[in-house]
Amino acid sequence: MALRDDRSTPTQRFVTYAALTLLLSQVMIPFGYVFVTAFKTPGEVFEVTWLPEEWSLEAWRDVFVVNEFHINLYNSLIAGIGSAVLALLISVPGAYVFARKRFPGREILFYLIVGTLIFPFILLIVPITITWIQVGLYNTIVGLWLAFQIFAVPYSIWILRGYFARLPRSLEECAMVYGCTQFQAFYKVILPQAKPVIISVMFLSFLLGWNDFLFSNMLTTGDGPRTASVAIYVASAGGERIEWEVMMVMTLITGIPPVILYILAQKHLSKTFSV
Amino acid sequence: MNAANAGIRVNHLQKTFQQGRVRACRDVNLAIAPGELLVLLGPSGCGKTTTLRCIAGLERPDNDDAIWVGEQNITGMQPKDRNLAFVFQDTALFPHLNARKNISFGLNMRKTFPAAEIRRKVEATAKMLRVDHLLERKPSQLSGGQAQRISLGRAIVMEPAAFLLDEPLASLDAALRVEMRAEIKQIQRKLNTTMIFVTHDQEEALSLGDQIAVMNEGVVLQVGSPASIYLKPANLFVARFIGSPPVNQFECELVQDGGGYGLRCAWFEVSLGAEAATLIDAVGGKVTLGVRPEFISIGSEGGDIEGRVTLVEMLGSRSVILIEAQGREIRVSTQGGTTVKEGDPVQLTLTMDRAFFFAPDGRALVG
Amino acid sequence: MKRSQATSADRWLIVVFLAPTTAFMVLLLWYPFLQGVWMSLFRWPFLGTPEWRGVQNYVDFMAADYFWVALKSTFIYSLSTLFQLGLALTAALVLNQPFIRLQNLWRGVMLMAYAMPPVVVGAIWLFLLDPGLGMVTHYLLAWGIIAEPIYWFSDGVWARWVITLVATWTFWPFMFLILLSALQAIPGSLYELGEIYGANLWQRFIHITLPHIKGAILVVVILRLAFNLAKIEQPFQLTGGGPGYETSILSVLVYRFAFMSGDFGMAFTVGIFLVVFTSVLIFPFAYLYQRQFKPTL
Ligand SMILES: Nc1ncnc2c1ncn2[C@@H]1O[C@H](COP(=O)(O)OP(=O)(O)O)[C@@H](O)[C@H]1O
Ligand SMILES: [Mg+2]
Repeated sequence: MALRDDRSTPTQRFVTYAALTLLLSQVMIPFGYVFVTAFKTPGEVFEVTWLPEEWSLEAWRDVFVVNEFHINLYNSLIAGIGSAVLALLISVPGAYVFARKRFPGREILFYLIVGTLIFPFILLIVPITITWIQVGLYNTIVGLWLAFQIFAVPYSIWILRGYFARLPRSLEECAMVYGCTQFQAFYKVILPQAKPVIISVMFLSFLLGWNDFLFSNMLTTGDGPRTASVAIYVASAGGERIEWEVMMVMTLITGIPPVILYILAQKHLSKTFSV
Repeated sequence: MNAANAGIRVNHLQKTFQQGRVRACRDVNLAIAPGELLVLLGPSGCGKTTTLRCIAGLERPDNDDAIWVGEQNITGMQPKDRNLAFVFQDTALFPHLNARKNISFGLNMRKTFPAAEIRRKVEATAKMLRVDHLLERKPSQLSGGQAQRISLGRAIVMEPAAFLLDEPLASLDAALRVEMRAEIKQIQRKLNTTMIFVTHDQEEALSLGDQIAVMNEGVVLQVGSPASIYLKPANLFVARFIGSPPVNQFECELVQDGGGYGLRCAWFEVSLGAEAATLIDAVGGKVTLGVRPEFISIGSEGGDIEGRVTLVEMLGSRSVILIEAQGREIRVSTQGGTTVKEGDPVQLTLTMDRAFFFAPDGRALVG
Repeated sequence: MKRSQATSADRWLIVVFLAPTTAFMVLLLWYPFLQGVWMSLFRWPFLGTPEWRGVQNYVDFMAADYFWVALKSTFIYSLSTLFQLGLALTAALVLNQPFIRLQNLWRGVMLMAYAMPPVVVGAIWLFLLDPGLGMVTHYLLAWGIIAEPIYWFSDGVWARWVITLVATWTFWPFMFLILLSALQAIPGSLYELGEIYGANLWQRFIHITLPHIKGAILVVVILRLAFNLAKIEQPFQLTGGGPGYETSILSVLVYRFAFMSGDFGMAFTVGIFLVVFTSVLIFPFAYLYQRQFKPTL
């Protein structure tokens, strides 16, 4: 980061701090209220108050005991991990070749993959659903992992290729002069250099699985691997009275882990995206 | 080909890029004897790196019999099987490994020695390069010179058939460059291993090489000892590229005056021996005369050329004097200090028996 | 003699490394896509027997009374990208000021909504905007800004803007993160140079900041335009595409045809329109990017 001397004027500071305050409050006020609500009793949810009469853990208990939300969380976790592993396996070798090797059809192939980034992937849900039913992937976790790759792979290849292309070529060449095969040069020298981007890709495709609603909803049923997102959707479209305090607990439990992951991955992400 | 000390031969090497649109090496021929240090010298973009990379196997030459080690044609061999150590200009140290692991990288890959032996070799090499105290550092914690030493260590520890160095000193500061080039030469002498050292710096080449190969536009123009390259350049390009300040050049014509011969150059005339005159006559009488700055002497009367001093540069052991004559600049170099001052009128005398004559096509005329 | 650049070891590596990527691309992207295009030429009921229709699906869709409604909502919804850019650029410029302390903390706070599953954020706004017990309605009533509760999700005009603004609130940090890295990559010496030559704040922004982040801006705009139009969870969750078709942006319409009417052929027909719509919106930005930065492989 560019360290600069601060020569700001008081007006400049005032405007900046005012903008910062506004930006932070539009985030903090809604989330603050969600947080407070998660500790209200069902009766108190109807009143807009910022301090519950008594801080109740009833909703937190219900989430696990009544809604068995831990099952959904577990499904989300597995969905995310599988998505991350699969994305790495498919895209790291491909991205490396796109970044480093010349072969006929390279450009067209690359654009055929990365071009799908701007694809509305809701579109593929129709044929994918039918195919999944035909081949028995419907309502399975593997089916979900594969479906997530529709977005995860083009995105990962795009990020990885950019990063690989920025690494100096002399590293692999040097490895090959000092006894490595092409493949050894890749995994002994290039992969260790690519740690930030690999962590970023794992993180992003994990989140893709954890955060996904569309595929998880379409490709699973109630007795299959339902993820937390789908459970929240189902609860929020419940029809009868929605238990808002329970819902807010669910949103917190599902929403906080990705935020923490983001903060942890930030260092690697900024190396990855410093284009 | 694992003979510790191999000669390398480059045989009509051709290498083109981009479907033949870029011709990096047109016809490169080199023969490096076992244990010899050859410097490949030439201006930037002349194909030095490409030649070296072809030797190392990092590029595939266009012709199939271009690279020989000893009696073996290795043109198609994988880099890892060539037993040649390459040192990159940017050091190419592996950032995730500390200096020790960088040096041992090749030996670890090869798996011929037990760990203890590798450790011993690494430490001995590091000691020779005076970096044994840096072994646990990561490349990011090393200075430019230290990093290049580690990178040399990575090459040396392999005990390769030959070292290939691509401008290893180019990114170091001047003092360090001079120090390290002496060191590299000493190490090469000690190990007695064949070495090809690429540089665009003629001074570095002169100080370092047993042999110097001067390249331009993908072709080797001359190979020879530093002295012969300097004193007997094969053509005008080599004469101009080697030597600082550069050679003085005059367009001249052969004339006959009385019994002897002379050269009429722009506005002055010098007399010429019969032997040189015969050579010049054979190419039609028009030549480029080249005289190195140290072969022009300054006096106050009776010289070949009249001029006026415009600048005096005192360089310690010698002085460089710029002289203006008839709108042309002439460079003169003298040992030690000089008494002439800027503005002084002077007379210059050319030492014709050390002068070069180049035919109109640039070729040097030699008897 | 002519020879390809790759040695045989090279060729093997290329083949082996490309295999998973290519297999993925064919099996999961292009085959289903072409299959879908094929399906759009049929009446293709879920699990039923397809019936050939030629381009009739396309004709029917363009003649339908909801066609223009859907296009209009889609267009308004894509305005979200602009709002996101405004927020993101402001936030990035604010956090890039050298005198701001705790920069990392604020950045963490700002990206909260983006990090969470969109459905989670949707659920939160479903609650906050609830006409009966929601905080927003409560304060608007309390401060006398509105006289009676607004049914945000079922009032056609409001619903459209609600889904657009919720999308803005959720996704702006994506742009923010990338723009902030772009800003931080500008060498500080450039600003010092600017000051030495007497450039004021605005001039420094126009001549130093903007040119350096132009590429990043174009990239995030392109990506967000595409991503936003493909993300359906929030409109789907908040309004279900209603009332009527008022908030049925094209992607929601795909969903409605596929999984509510069970007409896969029609669903894909709408999908094709969505691809065209997205491409048309993206084209000018992609063109600018291509022209200025000439990205090469
Ligand atoms: N991979 C390549 N692709 C295209 N042209 C190249 C490549 N490598 C080198 N060249 C070109 O070949 C010529 C010789 O380059 P090089 O061997 O690097 O020169 P030197 O090392 O003497 O400076 C240059 O004109 C250079 O641009
Ligand atoms: Mg070079």
